[in-house]
Amino acid sequence: MTFLNEPNAGLLLMKVGLHAGETFDHILERKRQEYKNAGVIFWGYGGNTCHPTRAVQPFARMKLEKRENIYIVMEEINSNHPPTKIVAEEYSVDGIHWQPIPTGIEVRSSRYAVVLDELQDGDLDIDLSEYKVAVGPSLGKVASDYILGRVDKACITKSQEPLAHRPPQIKKISHIARIVEPYAVFLRNH
Amino acid sequence: MALDLREALNTISDVVQNRPSPLREFDQIYMKVGDLVIQSEFIARKFDGLDIVFIGDGDAISLCTVHLRQKEIFRYGPHHITVLDFDERIVKAVNHFAYNNDLGDKIEAVLYNVCDPLPECYWRTSDAFYTNPPWGASNDGKSVTAFVQRGIEAAKPKGMGAVVIGDNEEVEWTGQVLFRTQEMLINAGFIISEMIPGLHKYHLDDSPELTSCCMVARDINAQISYPKSEPLPSAVLDNFYGRNSPLKVRYVKDRSGLNLGRAHDSSYELIPLEGNQ
Repeated sequence: MTFLNEPNAGLLLMKVGLHAGETFDHILERKRQEYKNAGVIFWGYGGNTCHPTRAVQPFARMKLEKRENIYIVMEEINSNHPPTKIVAEEYSVDGIHWQPIPTGIEVRSSRYAVVLDELQDGDLDIDLSEYKVAVGPSLGKVASDYILGRVDKACITKSQEPLAHRPPQIKKISHIARIVEPYAVFLRNH
Repeated sequence: MALDLREALNTISDVVQNRPSPLREFDQIYMKVGDLVIQSEFIARKFDGLDIVFIGDGDAISLCTVHLRQKEIFRYGPHHITVLDFDERIVKAVNHFAYNNDLGDKIEAVLYNVCDPLPECYWRTSDAFYTNPPWGASNDGKSVTAFVQRGIEAAKPKGMGAVVIGDNEEVEWTGQVLFRTQEMLINAGFIISEMIPGLHKYHLDDSPELTSCCMVARDINAQISYPKSEPLPSAVLDNFYGRNSPLKVRYVKDRSGLNLGRAHDSSYELIPLEGNQ
């Protein structure tokens, strides 16, 4: 995968699994079809740690300024998300101007979506003790100290300087995709 | 001061119940309730008998202070508070609460965004200012200094200010922002007369250990003439909520309609009991 050759690439680490009653395998199949239909994937998510305009978009622009890429890296986990199916009808890049979800895209039970290029299988190990948080109030924190408990996603970069020593914390990455413009969007339904 | 903790918490609970839900995109991250009591008591004592302007107030420290004084849980408190906030939900919540609790002569909220010049009617009219701004983690504190600037413009000569910002020795950026804020206050003729480090915690799920300090500054320069209030420069607006995270919204418009303080109609649906239509 390309980012292995890009030491300064930005990563959005996300724990993934069953969501809104849909198995992860089914989500993958649906999202691969979405890419064939629409040319991009809207990967739904929630929570506050990777807010579209406060975290993902600024992080992506920061990387773009340096001609670096940003990737989503997925760690598969057993999750127990309650079965609901609310399908987003509109999306917005800035939370102000809204437009219909593009034809061929379906995002379920999510407040936000990260916009992806083609999904690729990966079999990678990432040591979080070598990464640091790249945006937000925890800026600069060692990623292995940050991704704990309720925090299940983060915008991180590999540290170019020595970090406070932490024991290795390896994350097994099963799927990867490049994050593409507009990087992350808000979702809503009526 | 000895406080009846149960009474204080129950009284603050009235205010908490009245607040709109926080919007994370604008750094509306609410202080934990125990710390609201501590902070309100400190401000009521420090600014006893003074006219204060709040430059933004999502936490509702202003309302807590006057409500606790009104209920005689505090024996001191400010003479009058003006809250300037860009979120109409907050403005309406403050004025609605004041009306319902007979506090109309003690507190008033007005819609205002710090990107605009401070309206002339507030220039150098308050004894003190208070602000808990977006903390400027990745914009070198530009959002903090923008709010503090408006506070300085609102304070009378020899006035005071209280600034609540991130402060945690283990979080490097907080020290840098504190340094810039103190530098700005000192350059404006203030001294840092008091600082309580690491005082408050917040409902911040991804950084629950992040604390803020309360810094009190006092104008010793008493500069009579002060430059006119100007719009914020574009360099500040472009990175207002962090690097590459610009300020794009002038106001948050309230759309609660008749649902002020209650769940919005669109957030639930009533399923009738069969046979009892």
